[in-house]
Amino acid sequence: MQRSSWLGLAFLSPALIVVFLFFLVPVVLTGFFSFTNMSTATGVKGGAYVLNASGLRALTDAGLPKSTLEQIEGAGYRVDAKGLEALALDFGKPVAEEFAKLHEGEVFSKRRDVERALKDLRSNPIRKTRDRKQAADLFKRSLMNERFDSPTAFEAALEEAGIPETDRPLITEVAYTGWVWTTDNFGFLFSLDSTWQYAKNTVIYVVFTLSFNVLFGLFLAIATFYLPAGQAAAFRAIWFLPRILPPVLYIVMWRWFTWDTGFISTVLSGFGVPPRNWMLDTEFHAWTTIVLINGFVGASMGMIVFSSAIRAIPASMLYASEVDGASRLQQIWYIILPQLRWPILFITSYQTMSLLTSFEYIYLATDGGPGGATEVWALAAFHTALNNYGGNLQYGLGATYALILVVIGLLASLAYLRLFNFRNLLVKPRIEG
Amino acid sequence: MKPNFRNWPVLLVLLVFSAPLLIMLAFLLVDAFTTKVPGTMIPNGVTLHHFRFLWTDLDDGSWGIWGVTLNTFNFALFTSLAVSAISLTAGYALSRLAFPARGFFLGSLIVLHAFPTVTLIIAIFLILQLLGLYNTLIGVIVVKAALELPFGIWVMKGFYDTVPWEIEMAGVQDGASRFTVWWQLVLPQVQPGLMAILIFSFLSGWSEFILPMVLAPGTEAQVLSTYLATMLLDGGTQADFNLFKAVGLFYALPVAIIYLIFQNKLMNIYGGGTKG
Repeated sequence: MQRSSWLGLAFLSPALIVVFLFFLVPVVLTGFFSFTNMSTATGVKGGAYVLNASGLRALTDAGLPKSTLEQIEGAGYRVDAKGLEALALDFGKPVAEEFAKLHEGEVFSKRRDVERALKDLRSNPIRKTRDRKQAADLFKRSLMNERFDSPTAFEAALEEAGIPETDRPLITEVAYTGWVWTTDNFGFLFSLDSTWQYAKNTVIYVVFTLSFNVLFGLFLAIATFYLPAGQAAAFRAIWFLPRILPPVLYIVMWRWFTWDTGFISTVLSGFGVPPRNWMLDTEFHAWTTIVLINGFVGASMGMIVFSSAIRAIPASMLYASEVDGASRLQQIWYIILPQLRWPILFITSYQTMSLLTSFEYIYLATDGGPGGATEVWALAAFHTALNNYGGNLQYGLGATYALILVVIGLLASLAYLRLFNFRNLLVKPRIEG
Repeated sequence: MKPNFRNWPVLLVLLVFSAPLLIMLAFLLVDAFTTKVPGTMIPNGVTLHHFRFLWTDLDDGSWGIWGVTLNTFNFALFTSLAVSAISLTAGYALSRLAFPARGFFLGSLIVLHAFPTVTLIIAIFLILQLLGLYNTLIGVIVVKAALELPFGIWVMKGFYDTVPWEIEMAGVQDGASRFTVWWQLVLPQVQPGLMAILIFSFLSGWSEFILPMVLAPGTEAQVLSTYLATMLLDGGTQADFNLFKAVGLFYALPVAIIYLIFQNKLMNIYGGGTKG
């Protein structure tokens, strides 16, 4: 390789590392996560093996034989180091030492047997019945609520408890608290009515906001083109504001505008209309606000792109049309709009993507309300995986929602690459050729 | 052109649609500094009470406005420095250097530039948890810088493309290495591009809300956007909009100043647009 090849790769490597870590890996992992049941309950890093009451219920439902269930609950009395230690602590060392000498390693199935053994100790018998019961309980071994860090330790414990080999895999599976691979997310997702509601909401959101963006962006661009320079600059500055202001402040202003103590309510109360929350009181108002909030931001982008495209039209064409007696409307229809075909296509495709995937403004304004009426797909993914009131964040299911957007995003970006004049980019470096 | 069209209907429509924005903006400034007659929009007194968050503790669990402001500044600054540094080299490599699979990298850049990164937030959240960078400012900075990167490289490549080849050829002819040529001859030519990226990523970091909210929700790493959003969303029915607006003005002040200074440069970059 030439020396400049190395220089090129070296110059590119920081970017490659970052892109790998925060684009490629997340895309792949979104795919992986959507095939898991990862949630707050399972944790992210894998888990331990614990059988609790609900696990036992699941095993009962799975049709495990009753004898096995009993074995799990009470796995007998084992004279082991742990029990002996406790015995030494409660009843003195000599008792424990003698008991260890006689019975260490033995397993008693009933408490009565343990008690008898304790009673029969030659030099240090435990005399009181209550004490013997207590001492015997120290050796009780149950699989319930005991934590094992590895599957082998758990399986070994099952074996010791004498649980039939055929039942063990199922018990291990139920006892595992970490996440597991599953394809259930996809079926579950499409079995939910709310999923279709999210899809419908997303379509409403994208179609109406996009129409507003493109049409109003066009109107702004053409209007400011024909207005005197001073007025045009003033309007451009006003419409640039939503884009430049931090989103949170922008939403503060909209909330104030529509709140029951805010602008609309206060002004209308002068006309006898009782104050109410104009953003959240009905679905229609919620949608109108959402479309306007996003539309005002999007229209400014349309305005900038269309304005520069209009300015690129040779003025001589416009002059010529006026000499021929064309009205402004005819100028717009026959000269300006045909020239804006590509910018309109660009804005439409670009904003379809960003509207489809963005949820920032909706989250801050209505948070999907009232009653889920404005919950769009991207917001649902966010709510499922990262922010819900239930507290159990379902990363796996959320990733499944997100995966669908990621796939759409990837396909659209690849399509974008096709549309783009790629050959222009591929101009060869001239020094090394 | 002769006026073959009346302006006033157009002006009227523009004014009607701009009215919400104008009203919001006017009352943003008015409400932050005044008190009102209850139930009306009429101010009846000037006050700095709404700015009390600057010198008293609002007792809302955050660690004071100045710490939050410092966090925001660090977040924006280090994001923009990281984006600029990496774009500076990667843009040059893509624009001028020959290396294997260059076409592939250029194609990927366009795909990345168009890709809606917010869809990756769930996976990134889990990755930061695995890396142990969850709930730290450094974690958010790294992620924000990474997500801004395709845009930065794209802009920087554009600036490198306009530098005449003759400058570099002359340098190479005189015996300088490619690295020296880049460092001493090309870099001074793309300073406007560097400035543009620094400013743009700083503003973008300053305004960012979703990433800090999701990736660093703790008070230690709180930034102004999450500070204001917490106020706004936790307020319930007793929303104190005068306070929100005062905080908002404080928050937006650097943005307004930077925008007024660099207006024309930014107008061009925003045309490329990164938000809907």
